[in-house]
Amino acid sequence: MTTAQLVRPYTPSRVSRAAAFVKRHGFEIVLITPLFVYVFGTTLVPVFASILLGFQNPPRGGGFPSLESYNLVIQDYQFVSAFINTLIITFTSVGLELILGLIVALVMTRTFRGRGVFRAIMLLPLGIPVVVAASNMRYIFLSSGYLNQALIDLNLISQPIDWLRYPLALFTVAISDMWKVTPLVMLILLAGLESIPSELYEAAQVDGAGVWQRFRRITLPLLKPAITSAVVIRGIDAFRIFAHPMGLGVGRTVPVLSTFGYYEYQRVYYTTSAATSTILLVMILVTVLLYIRIAGTEEITG
Amino acid sequence: MSEAAPTSRPGARRINWGKRAGRVGLALLVLLIVAVTMAPVYFMVVLSVMEPSEFFRPDPAYFPTKFTTQWWERVLNSETLYPAFTKSLVVATVTTAIALVISVPGAYAISRMAPKVKYFLILSLFFTRMYPEIGIALPVAVFFLRMGLYESIIGLVFAHLILVLPICAWILVGAFETIPRDLEEAASVDGASRLRTLWRVVIPLAAPGISVAAIFTWLLSWDEVTYARFLTLLHPTLPIQLLDIIGRSGPTVVATWATIVTIPVVIVTYLMQRWLRADYLAGAVKG
Repeated sequence: MTTAQLVRPYTPSRVSRAAAFVKRHGFEIVLITPLFVYVFGTTLVPVFASILLGFQNPPRGGGFPSLESYNLVIQDYQFVSAFINTLIITFTSVGLELILGLIVALVMTRTFRGRGVFRAIMLLPLGIPVVVAASNMRYIFLSSGYLNQALIDLNLISQPIDWLRYPLALFTVAISDMWKVTPLVMLILLAGLESIPSELYEAAQVDGAGVWQRFRRITLPLLKPAITSAVVIRGIDAFRIFAHPMGLGVGRTVPVLSTFGYYEYQRVYYTTSAATSTILLVMILVTVLLYIRIAGTEEITG
Repeated sequence: MSEAAPTSRPGARRINWGKRAGRVGLALLVLLIVAVTMAPVYFMVVLSVMEPSEFFRPDPAYFPTKFTTQWWERVLNSETLYPAFTKSLVVATVTTAIALVISVPGAYAISRMAPKVKYFLILSLFFTRMYPEIGIALPVAVFFLRMGLYESIIGLVFAHLILVLPICAWILVGAFETIPRDLEEAASVDGASRLRTLWRVVIPLAAPGISVAAIFTWLLSWDEVTYARFLTLLHPTLPIQLLDIIGRSGPTVVATWATIVTIPVVIVTYLMQRWLRADYLAGAVKG
């Protein structure tokens, strides 16, 4: 034994260091605790409860562990349809929102008369409740609605199209979602566009780069972080889409995972509803991780 | 139309034409986007006051000429309107009040932390938004069923807090960050405790930001349908009432209900914009 080891008690232990931290930051810890206890308690506990419930016997639980609920769900035609529909709607709506959001954001960077009014109008959908946004789409997409009327007036179709019937309704749901949240995507992308230094464009112009080249070589690469956050934020929400199919009145005929889970719960099949939500959780996690991975590696190689 | 300056350079005329075409294209694009954005809201309002003969015909009128108040009368006299309206109003207001009590102190503490810790804490709050709401709503609903709190206002407030707290706290962190620490230090030099400083100095200064957070929280709760759908059967909130109406009534009645759900949002958003303009902080620092 050396003296160094003997004087060890003088160096602060982990416990006393923690105590010192608590003493120094006691005020902050007291302030923060309710917020974090509530947020994590009310999300982690129910999510765990759901995951456990999914591995129990249908319809209401017991007999853990059991794969019976997953078996039931996978063999259910409605579930398989909901799974595919969720994927299609998510990719369609997020894709459309990105393209349209980018177009509107690019328009917004230009100066023109009435830009302030245009901005205010563009933000309008953010203030409209989701259910209202979806139900408003009904007047337009009903077979006796305004879209068919407009298409007939333009001589594009002769017979009304039933936009609310599967599989066209998938597109309608995506459009409904797109109308509501494109402004949000636009704001995220606009923030990204505004952070690109204008010197880059000027330099490129001096070097003779055209509009398309500037967009392709400057705007898109530098906008990548903004695009990534828009895709992740929107992707998570789109996977959980619930109000739009309900508000369009196609909750039964065009099932998505959230509405399927709701109807299972409604007929007191708790375990299959829980299994559905767990599958949805895994889908979200896998997609987000994959996307961040791919977007991240592209950044390094490109 | 402004850069029509005369120039002797060859080819200048062509560039000008290109520019003009670009401007016309931009104008058309702007008009198209505006039309698509406004159409659903326009039709909602118009349908709610439209004569049935104007919509229920092979070619529904874009710009109706005959109006009626019968849809509004029907909905305003409906027995289901006031209970639903009251429930939504109470739930949104109570949710906002509790959300502020919980997240004002928490957000203030986060805003005073080192940037790395702050970023980590906010991100960890937002990670909870990744979970599917149906996975949270199911156990919560089953639990409240067992407790006899199904359809209760308390149950829905509890669920809405899960949704709103991370967003409310995030807005508040931003609001508190704009309050300079010098003011707190000055207060503590004057002998005020930290709690007193928070209550007497920081919170009054952050009032505009807190109002924005409150209004945003209120709107989130007012709009919410997933938790409300899981937690209600007989006593719906206003948006759930609208969902129930959609399958059962014609477009004109649905449009009237939809307008009623939207009106409070318009009022509240207008209030928020007034708050957003207010700038109490500049005065405090100068004086």
